Amino acid sequence: MKHWWKILGVLLMIYSIVAGLAIPLKPGIYDAITASKAITGAPIDIVAVGYLTKFDNTKDDLRAWLKVDNEHAIASTAIKVESESRLKVSFDIPNNLPSADKTVDAALIIDSKKNGYSIFPSAVFIKNTVGTNSAAGWTNAISNMTQHQGMSFPYRNILQETIRNLFYHVPLWFGMMIIFLISAINSGRFLKTKNSKFDHKAASYASVGTLFGILGLVTGAIWAKHTWGAYWSWDIKQNMSAIAMLVYLAYFVLRNSFEESEQSARIGAVYNIFAFVTLPMLLFVIPRLTDSLHPGNGGNPGFGGEDLDNNMRMVFYPAIIGFTLFGAWMANILYRLKAVQQRLLDKAFHSA
Amino acid sequence: MKETISYIFTFLFLLTQNSLFAQTAHDAFMRSNGKIYVVIGVLISIFIGLVLFMVIMERRLKKLEKELNENG
Repeated sequence: MKHWWKILGVLLMIYSIVAGLAIPLKPGIYDAITASKAITGAPIDIVAVGYLTKFDNTKDDLRAWLKVDNEHAIASTAIKVESESRLKVSFDIPNNLPSADKTVDAALIIDSKKNGYSIFPSAVFIKNTVGTNSAAGWTNAISNMTQHQGMSFPYRNILQETIRNLFYHVPLWFGMMIIFLISAINSGRFLKTKNSKFDHKAASYASVGTLFGILGLVTGAIWAKHTWGAYWSWDIKQNMSAIAMLVYLAYFVLRNSFEESEQSARIGAVYNIFAFVTLPMLLFVIPRLTDSLHPGNGGNPGFGGEDLDNNMRMVFYPAIIGFTLFGAWMANILYRLKAVQQRLLDKAFHSA
Repeated sequence: MKETISYIFTFLFLLTQNSLFAQTAHDAFMRSNGKIYVVIGVLISIFIGLVLFMVIMERRLKKLEKELNENG
């Protein structure tokens, strides 16, 4: 079976689309609504709006906290279930804030035996009206958090369902790197053997790699619009990947700008190897040096922990292999077309 | 080739002009149901990319067919 890798690539892509869309998110807190301002020494009601939650009055053991930092939190005084997705949580804020700040922001934590625990950051901003700070009334007694049962992906507040884009946007870039690597290797083989077959292979792989890169830019822009707020935020990693694409577009311009095919193949091959060498610089080194919105860059934590759990890895890694194999298949067909074209040209040349 | 590059530049330019795309109704739709339509949008754009590849392949094949018809 010489086509096994194409079948494997397609199966892995189908698997990543089906599993990536079918597995539900964990239930999470989507919004926290307060009718009044939170001040010290006063009660406050917070309506927590749940996403995919199934809050239930009778059969659930609900607990809630407002957490200022790791040592300071308060437990709720009452929890009322308004509907499956709405909880009204009441707190009595102590007379003092644990820090000297005028205002502190507190995260709302809800623990439910049925839905697992969920955190909504900066649910309320508590204003200190008394003016003193002490830890009296605040505890650190948050314990026995319930883990959500069953197969699920993490719920993240801004990402929500778009966390699934990890299986479609990121593998495009991983696949692009591998395909460009194959392209550079073929350019090296061309320089060594002077066999134009390798030059055609290199150009085919570079075409598919560029397509993957442009798709990566487009999918990233769509994702960014609804999480970061704009299609293009001039984020350093966005800019650098756009430059990387321009570097590869220049490769095609260069390859097509010589009359003599032998010369264009040689210069193209040298350029292609240099282009590949700039890629890690543009995509991995420079974005780490300054601030970036991308995870794992500029002081941001990398994708991991809460963002990438083991359930996601079980879809993410197959997706990378699937996209890469599919890209290799595309490049393979393109190369064979070019090879046939070359043979026809040679035939016409010899018969003339 | 020239055309492709100018298309890409125009596209990148349009991406930076967020006001051209800013439609609150569109945003509200994309952000409904836990932003699932963003994932659908990403999948559709990948599909369009694959279709584009098919178009490029067909053009190349057409060129070959023409050559064969003329010289073969």
